[in-house]
Amino acid sequence: MSANIAVTGAASRSRAARRNRRTRTTLEAYLLIAPSLFGFVAFLVAPVVIVFVLSLFSWNLIGSPQFVGLANYRRMFTDSQSWHALLNTAYYVVLNIPMQTVLALLLALALNRKMRGSKLFRVVFVLPWMAMPVALGVIWNWFFDPRSGIIDHVISLLGFTGPNWLTSTTWAMPVIASVNVWQYTGYTMLFLLAGLQAIPQQVYEAASLDGVNAVQRLFRITLPLLRPALFFVLVTNVIGSFQQFDTVFVMTQGGPGQSTTTMNYYIYQQAFQLFHAGYAATLSILLFAVILVVTFVQFRYFRKRTIYDFS
Amino acid sequence: MFRRARKPLAAAAALASVAGLTTACGGSSGSGGVVNLTYMIWQTSEEAAYQKSVDVFEKAHPDIHVTIDLVPWAQYWAKLQTSAAGRNMPDLFWDHLEYLPELAKDGIITNLAADVKSSKIDLSQYSPKLLAQWENNGVIYGLPKDWDTIETIYNAKDLATAGITPAQLGSLSWNTTDGGTFVQALEKLTVDKNGKHPNQAGFDAGHIKQYGIALEAPNGQQDWWDFGVQNGCALQSKAYGTWTVNSTACVQAMQFEQDLMYKWHVAAPGTITNTPNGAQLPTILAQNTAAMTFDGDWDLDTYESSLPAGSWGVATMPTGPAGSGTVFNGLTDAVYAGTKHPEQAWELEEWLASAASEKIVTDTGTVWAAIPSLDSGFIAAWKAKGIDVSAFYQGSQGTTIGYPLTTAGTAFTNVVLKDMNQVWLDQMSPLAAANDITSVSNAAVASGD
Repeated sequence: MSANIAVTGAASRSRAARRNRRTRTTLEAYLLIAPSLFGFVAFLVAPVVIVFVLSLFSWNLIGSPQFVGLANYRRMFTDSQSWHALLNTAYYVVLNIPMQTVLALLLALALNRKMRGSKLFRVVFVLPWMAMPVALGVIWNWFFDPRSGIIDHVISLLGFTGPNWLTSTTWAMPVIASVNVWQYTGYTMLFLLAGLQAIPQQVYEAASLDGVNAVQRLFRITLPLLRPALFFVLVTNVIGSFQQFDTVFVMTQGGPGQSTTTMNYYIYQQAFQLFHAGYAATLSILLFAVILVVTFVQFRYFRKRTIYDFS
Repeated sequence: MFRRARKPLAAAAALASVAGLTTACGGSSGSGGVVNLTYMIWQTSEEAAYQKSVDVFEKAHPDIHVTIDLVPWAQYWAKLQTSAAGRNMPDLFWDHLEYLPELAKDGIITNLAADVKSSKIDLSQYSPKLLAQWENNGVIYGLPKDWDTIETIYNAKDLATAGITPAQLGSLSWNTTDGGTFVQALEKLTVDKNGKHPNQAGFDAGHIKQYGIALEAPNGQQDWWDFGVQNGCALQSKAYGTWTVNSTACVQAMQFEQDLMYKWHVAAPGTITNTPNGAQLPTILAQNTAAMTFDGDWDLDTYESSLPAGSWGVATMPTGPAGSGTVFNGLTDAVYAGTKHPEQAWELEEWLASAASEKIVTDTGTVWAAIPSLDSGFIAAWKAKGIDVSAFYQGSQGTTIGYPLTTAGTAFTNVVLKDMNQVWLDQMSPLAAANDITSVSNAAVASGD
């Protein structure tokens, strides 16, 4: 009996000690994540909550915000400019993503071979991504200048007259998309290249023993096994494209007319040119919702078709 | 043991980084009883003159230190509104009529009426036209500090080559049927790559080497508003009234400017003057892309630094069907209603609007003074540099329209930028633009934002 009690006492003592230790470990963990948690809450969670709250208010940044209920949302649905901006954004994504992904894939396949200078080219193609988008926009503006730009100059040497690229409602958006393709293809290529190098060599060896040709090898082996990398690249690039702002801001300021006004640029105009902070918050929720849906669809598509384990 | 030893270290590191994130804020109050005031302005070329004036002020007020915060126009208002949101506005800032009504509505600007009275400021010393714009029902939003008009700036060599004298430039007139003598002169100044003029056979409108004129304005102040006043167009029914931009007289003025570009081929088209390729007017003149421009006197310094001395000059604008006319505008210094140092801010306001300070600024040829008796100093300053700027003064004495007064200033500017950009690119008709501008701006007036 007494022995029993002694055992129980020891057990409860050790349980208390364990609990103490666990509390200590928990506390320690919280302390360790505190700095990044603070940043996460202060710079992400809090602003997101504020944006949701702000979307119910009318506020010009100076006066005190007025509660307007769902008025901003009603306005959004009847504002033809907001739908125009959304369509422009979708158009930009459609121009940008396929071109960028296919180009990056071709580059990755080319640079995956063992050849002289491939390491140099890997660096060269990534350089545009390392440069500042605003500075690049300014330089591209010079290139596309109808009077002194090099692009129209080359076209005129060939005996043609180039269009007024950035002041044309037809050409302005393709130009913006091209500049971004040029800028981000190298970056996308890096991920695809890493993905290619993760594919085990034996798979190809087995395929060649079975007499598989180059086209079959690409579509039956390389692309299916590249899906984890493609998935990552597509999801992040699509999100990034929906948020296009900097190139538009520098190169066209949304014009001519509304032809290059992407959703993010329209949000900027509403918030910082017209000082409709509440309405801008509502529009950013719309953009958030659109990105959420598109990303969700991508996840659903890729989840069933992606193999992560090559062993 | 090892884990235990690390714990306080981790905690300390965590605390330190949290502390680091939170101590970055905090105001700057003066040391040793010195009050720090911030004075926000937007014109780079005027900073030196205002610094000169502020230096004199600081000498007389050793307990006040003034920091001039130069923020270019393109970012100025966004910065002002966001700093208002952060309750961190400059104590004094340049104010513009485009934004005054909205700022006043939100109670961000101090009513200076009581200070004016107690300090016995002689309001009659200021140009009455300027004073009227900044006063509303006994509320004074700022003391006038300067004024500006729009006139012609020309390249002297191009004018001589075309056989036109500066005096002749000032006597030109335009009309909506055949363009008048103004278009005839511009035809002489426009040259294609083969040396032909628009009124000559074989002129190649696709390859123009030098245009007669370049016109460029964010909202119309330096172009279609001036053609408008010369054609009897009123932008508004009355101050703070509804917009009447789609009236016949206004649409004709816009149409005339579009015709200068695409019918007569004498004005640089929107591809040269507009976003995104548009260069500044002084640059366009310096590069010989155009032989003349319409521009405000605030840009004189930029012309001086862009063009060799003696190679350019100022002339009056042409007269239109309704006579001569120009936009007349002026700025004030606004005192932030939430300033921590209202007394010192008023002292600075009083100084900047005094004859002594305005004389310092105008005698450098920076801006015309709001006190008319000082205007001769501006003319003398430019005469010393070989430029006769009296055309701007004549403009101010003739028919003028003021800057529109409206609570929908930002909405108006935004839609004008978008639509007129397309008009100058020949992608939209002036009537369609005028109708859109009128309905959007009037809707903004009605909804109060």
